[in-house]
Amino acid sequence: MSDERTRFANVVLPHLGDAYALARWLARNDSDAEDIVQEACLRAFRGIAGFGDVNARAWVLSIVRNTAFTWLKKHRDPRLIAVENIELVEAPGPEEDGGPFAGPSSPEASLIERADAARLEAAIGALPEEFRETLVLRDLQGLDYRAIAEVTGVPIGTVTSRLARARRRLMAQLGKDTE
Amino acid sequence: MTQADDPFLLVHAYCDGELDPANALAFERRLAADPRLAAERDRIQALKRAMTRLKPAALPPAGLRSRIETAVGLRRPAMRPTWSALAASVTLAVMLSSAATWSVLAPSRAGLVEDEVVGSHIRALMGAQPFDIASSDRHTVKPWFNGRIVQSPRVVDLAAEGFPLVGGRIDVIAKTPVPSLVYRYQKHLISVTATQGLGAPPRERVADGYHVIGWTDGGVSYWAVSDVGVGELEKFVQLFRAAPTDG
Repeated sequence: MSDERTRFANVVLPHLGDAYALARWLARNDSDAEDIVQEACLRAFRGIAGFGDVNARAWVLSIVRNTAFTWLKKHRDPRLIAVENIELVEAPGPEEDGGPFAGPSSPEASLIERADAARLEAAIGALPEEFRETLVLRDLQGLDYRAIAEVTGVPIGTVTSRLARARRRLMAQLGKDTE
Repeated sequence: MTQADDPFLLVHAYCDGELDPANALAFERRLAADPRLAAERDRIQALKRAMTRLKPAALPPAGLRSRIETAVGLRRPAMRPTWSALAASVTLAVMLSSAATWSVLAPSRAGLVEDEVVGSHIRALMGAQPFDIASSDRHTVKPWFNGRIVQSPRVVDLAAEGFPLVGGRIDVIAKTPVPSLVYRYQKHLISVTATQGLGAPPRERVADGYHVIGWTDGGVSYWAVSDVGVGELEKFVQLFRAAPTDG
């Protein structure tokens, strides 16, 4: 058994579940997610010597997200794929410019909290890619801001603003009564 | 106002526990003074709670893991075990311990034990369950060990400090069954393995992306292994060592 293989088994394989979950959120499709994870694992295997022994999970997830974006660009309509600097292209909508907020929050907060899981999942799926991956890494995979910055290759300030904008969209959508 | 002190951005970092204590305190004063800001915090917390109710992520299909293992040469197409690579370190240790070369290799024994301890943690993460007994009650976990191994480990309750006990398991290190406790921190697991007579644990090491912190207490060596940040693991070890011993 070569060292690379043992190392791959120890560093990459324990995070296969997280890798697959992230790929599914990015690709929104199970079979694409499988292809992406498989390709990402091969890249990770080839690059295992470059792993710096710090945060295996963040390292694996960064390879998965980079593979996902390349893969999606190649296999899907490029217009559907997010551009590098989504913050510059996307003007903030009125619902997400940080205020003003109407009325007291409690009824709205409780609407958000009681949101139907399927509706919430669809709303997350409809977010622009960069916002979605940031939200998924933070709220569904539990990474801290520093690790998210490492995975997505942007400064922590950008992580914070993407997360804020992702959540504002979801809150605006879920805070409205469905009727 | 710069982006860095926009309270409607900071409120997210506050809700995520990303502000240091001094900034968090200052921010709590702003929250108390600004109902709009407090309302935003309530909405964010409501959203975070709603997200915890999403169904857990689907497991990767079994075929995916085996295709990857085959692709990197970890298994031959028809071979079954996922374990082959991980078992390698165990096999090596067994070979060495029975070989005449033992005395020459003795200085690296602690390193081999460490490999096995880390390997046990990794194997536990890959299994269906990271423990043999699931319980958050130390009064259940400790007696469970009593019936199985000679010496049951020190079991402490750190739930109030954010490290709930989730269970225990028996690992085999250098051919000896030893107890491991499993604690959770947020979404990470921490294994604490107790060994005797297998050499001193390292004070602090990184192995394959896992942090290992060791200490010795009453002749027993403890190994804490996890992929949490080293700061969190140090805090855990401090709390574990400082916690009152159970009866």
